Amino acid sequence: MKIQRTENNMTMRKAVSSFVFSLLVIAALFFMSCEETVKLDLDDYTSAVVIEGLVTNQENYQFVKVTRTADFYDPGNTPRITNAEVTVTDDLGNVIPFVHNPSGNEDSLGIYIPETPFTGAVGRTYTLHVEVDGLLYEATDKLFPVTTMDSLNYEIDEDEQEDPEVEGRIYSLLLFTQEPQDEINYYLFKFFRNDSLSFDTDSDIYFSDDEFLAENISGVEGPVLYSQGDHARVEMFSISREGYIYYNDLSNLLNNDGGVFSPIPASPRTNLTNGALGFFQVSALDISETEIE
Amino acid sequence: MIRFLIVVTLVALSSPAWSQEKVTLNGYIKDGTNGEELIGVSVYIPQLKAGTVTNAYGFYAITVPKGTFEVQFSYIGYTVQTVTIELNSDVTRNIELQNEATALNEIVVTDKPIDENVVSVQMSKNTINISQVKKLPALFGEVDIIKNIQMLPGVISAGEGTSTFFVRGGGGDQNLILIDEAPIYDPSHLFGLFSVFNADVIKDAELYKGGIPSRFGGRLSSILDVRTIDGNNKKFGVTGGIGSIASRIMVEGPIKKDESSYVVSARTSNIWAYLAAANTDNTANFYDINAKVNWRANNTNRFFIALYTGRDKIAFDGGDAGFGWGNSTATFRWNHLYNERLFSNISFIASQFDYKLEVKDPALGIKWISSLQQAMLKADFQYAINTNNELSFGYHLTGQRFAPGKVSPNTTSSIFSTLELQHKYALDHSFYVNNQQRVGEKLLFDYGVRLSVFQNIGPGDVYIYNDRTDNVNIVHEDTLNYNNFENIKTYVNLEPRVSMRYTLAEGQSLKLSYNRMVQNTHLMTAATVPVPFNTWSPSDYYLKPQIADQVAAGYFRNFHNNMFEASIEAYYKDLNNVTDFADNAQVFFNEDLATEYRQGDSWSYGAELMINKKEGRLMGMLSYTWSKTMRKIPEVNQGEAFIANYDRRNVANIQASYDLNSKWTFGATFTYSTGRPMTVPAGKYEYGSYNPDVITERNGYVMPAFHRMDLSATLNPRKNEGRRWKGQWVFAIYNVYNRKNPFTIYTRTVQDEDGNVIGNGRQKEARLVYLFPVMPSVTYNFKF
Repeated sequence: MKIQRTENNMTMRKAVSSFVFSLLVIAALFFMSCEETVKLDLDDYTSAVVIEGLVTNQENYQFVKVTRTADFYDPGNTPRITNAEVTVTDDLGNVIPFVHNPSGNEDSLGIYIPETPFTGAVGRTYTLHVEVDGLLYEATDKLFPVTTMDSLNYEIDEDEQEDPEVEGRIYSLLLFTQEPQDEINYYLFKFFRNDSLSFDTDSDIYFSDDEFLAENISGVEGPVLYSQGDHARVEMFSISREGYIYYNDLSNLLNNDGGVFSPIPASPRTNLTNGALGFFQVSALDISETEIE
Repeated sequence: MIRFLIVVTLVALSSPAWSQEKVTLNGYIKDGTNGEELIGVSVYIPQLKAGTVTNAYGFYAITVPKGTFEVQFSYIGYTVQTVTIELNSDVTRNIELQNEATALNEIVVTDKPIDENVVSVQMSKNTINISQVKKLPALFGEVDIIKNIQMLPGVISAGEGTSTFFVRGGGGDQNLILIDEAPIYDPSHLFGLFSVFNADVIKDAELYKGGIPSRFGGRLSSILDVRTIDGNNKKFGVTGGIGSIASRIMVEGPIKKDESSYVVSARTSNIWAYLAAANTDNTANFYDINAKVNWRANNTNRFFIALYTGRDKIAFDGGDAGFGWGNSTATFRWNHLYNERLFSNISFIASQFDYKLEVKDPALGIKWISSLQQAMLKADFQYAINTNNELSFGYHLTGQRFAPGKVSPNTTSSIFSTLELQHKYALDHSFYVNNQQRVGEKLLFDYGVRLSVFQNIGPGDVYIYNDRTDNVNIVHEDTLNYNNFENIKTYVNLEPRVSMRYTLAEGQSLKLSYNRMVQNTHLMTAATVPVPFNTWSPSDYYLKPQIADQVAAGYFRNFHNNMFEASIEAYYKDLNNVTDFADNAQVFFNEDLATEYRQGDSWSYGAELMINKKEGRLMGMLSYTWSKTMRKIPEVNQGEAFIANYDRRNVANIQASYDLNSKWTFGATFTYSTGRPMTVPAGKYEYGSYNPDVITERNGYVMPAFHRMDLSATLNPRKNEGRRWKGQWVFAIYNVYNRKNPFTIYTRTVQDEDGNVIGNGRQKEARLVYLFPVMPSVTYNFKF
């Protein structure tokens, strides 16, 4: 039996609909629900190419990861594709070749980085070309500007102080920014604790549109908790509408309840062609950091 | 339409019986103990082999040739009354039937139980006998007719702990749920754990699955017509109960004996007690209030006012976040007899549904509200033309207002701004005419037509899209503005309804029916189980009315002197413009919802077998349904046909109660159904630190079967006898053999007990969620 806590879901997930939805699932399972791991008897399927691409306006923050889908019960990493031809072109006709794992690092198999460093520019459109076994997969995305975080603050989360999940990890971040009201923006956030990407729940994606947002964003609590002495970093990415839709769909898929109260699971809509899974994201990036003292 | 009316009238008038001199016998039939009017009482004249039944207001009228006749009045659970009536002129005869249990204080078998199920033309209908339902085990001991309806043949439950049901391949929003004729838009409490129907106040509930009478319209698949009691007009009484989930109290009594009465009932949850015990900051509560006043001014004028309001409130973290939803309805009714043959019912009906969500937080404070209102004027007439023809006709006017959503900040420092989706308005004019005609001794026809003129009206803006199926890049090419009451879109639909009964032999009949139903109010949901936070929409510029055609055939037979009722029915239903959503649709708070839904086809067929024993110490029902439901919607499942979420190929249900003696009654139910079809992953992949599933075919996997047995025992202590205070204990065990019935299956990255990812963070697992383990409950009911 479990009675879930809600404050987690009240924090950064600003897309109101996903907020509603979280409440729903919790409420549905609120009274009595038990669960156990079961083995699904699954059919074979044809594996597909998976591409995760990122181009930002920051130096050394671009990569393309090329992998394949795997069996659901495969315990390890999915297969890496190390022999793909990867290039990015921009709308001015520049061609940026990517090379596979130049450091030769075992952990970076399947990851391609630019041959020579380059940074994306606001307003430019970038197209990714990935050729795997003679098949070409492409995607285009635009680099939109991002607002800047005015400041990052932190405070003791009273609920956590009373009953901490991890001893001493009781500080939450407070974000302050101005949401430009005269343009349509979409955001993606990443939270780091001591340089490691952190979540409240592993399937969380912190993203938002600005449909419901007022201009003054002041003191919004972050989802990740910190201890004294921790280094906190927040990365705020601009994303395109396609990016917002991809992350929204991905979030729905990752947090799906099996199609009871939530929609029937579906593959996220992507900008990639030719049936590839994943997404090619082009973003401007704003980083804010603080020490928890 | 008018031509049809004329034809019907001519057919009716031209029947040969018209030439004889005719008189009409009419009246109201009620329960002799409490004065409650009885619905569906059989009135039969053996000499003429003619009969009728009381309507929803307890009124009957039959036109016959002059003469002296024996008239039988019979109703299930009541002693048959045979009265000799001299009919030389029109006669009004009000009848009081005696409840068998009260009459003799023991269980008897009536010498001639009625065979209404065989002789009536109506097929595909189930009547819920509330006193029988009370003998059966219930979840948490809380008697709930919706849970009972979910066990009827042809009805599929959305799942344990839900109030959603699917009738003959229809969606969860295709059931018109009425309380005293007023629609209830969401019948659930606590997300469906219980329904809004408090069993104490229910007089009668009927579910129409096919052969739907012309007087009903607006939903494709079923009509659930729930009537509440009028209140005892003979003596004051209090009824109540204390259960493990909710407590109830009802007060009823005469205002003026035999003439006017009132009833007020309240039910409130007591879950807070558990939650307090569990030391959580979260609370969940619901309540229902029903009130009714009725006044029988004289035999020709009767007035009723019925009110219902109910609400759920769920709060988290001591009220920092919460939500609620509720229905309110009001019905004013005036039954009037113009003359012996012409009965009318004029109703004013109002209904409202709303939900609210709120988060109280300095930065994230937000309030979200949504509501819909409906007002109706109904004029229904019944005319007893002659022995062989009963005409009914009417006009229903409905106005609806939909306010799908408004969000606003509730603190000055909130990051949210105010945003409201535009309201939608609709007007519906429905006309119907219907005749029930006896042809010879064996044939009975019921034929009619309903005309619905539905208008989506202004004010409102309609966006014109360059590609309405593109829900990624939404481009409004143009906006059409409409003023108040300006017509945005009109849909006119004719709905023919035809039923036929052919008597094969005494106690045996064959029935056929065809009906077309049209639905102009749609629930916008992409899930299997609708939740209160889904919004409704009228048919509009883009959204087309859903249309269903159903044919059904059935063989009805009673055995053992009508002790056992048996039937086998088969149906085929063809549904058009059923609404589904494109993959990844955004259904909440979306002003461009038109880009998300897709309308397509659905078809369903099945066979239902039912054996019912309605008399005796051992009563119960056994049913088995085989059915198949498919959908084919553009852009859903790549446009390929797929099995509907609510397809359950095999469903079997057993309900039984046994009156051991006047002290103990036992009840048992067993239910079995094929598992829910669901979409499961074919594989997995990596994106960042996430491990999404690979999704291929929709609803390609069938969950393990659902089955469960419940038992109950009802104790009426002997000391009740001769006491004014009568107490009753109901002990129940839910899920006796502790079956872990699958509610749903979801997937996740392998985690430990505390929800922390373990291992390399790339391994996935499937989790089966099940709801209720074996659960005992105790309820105490009282009456004085």
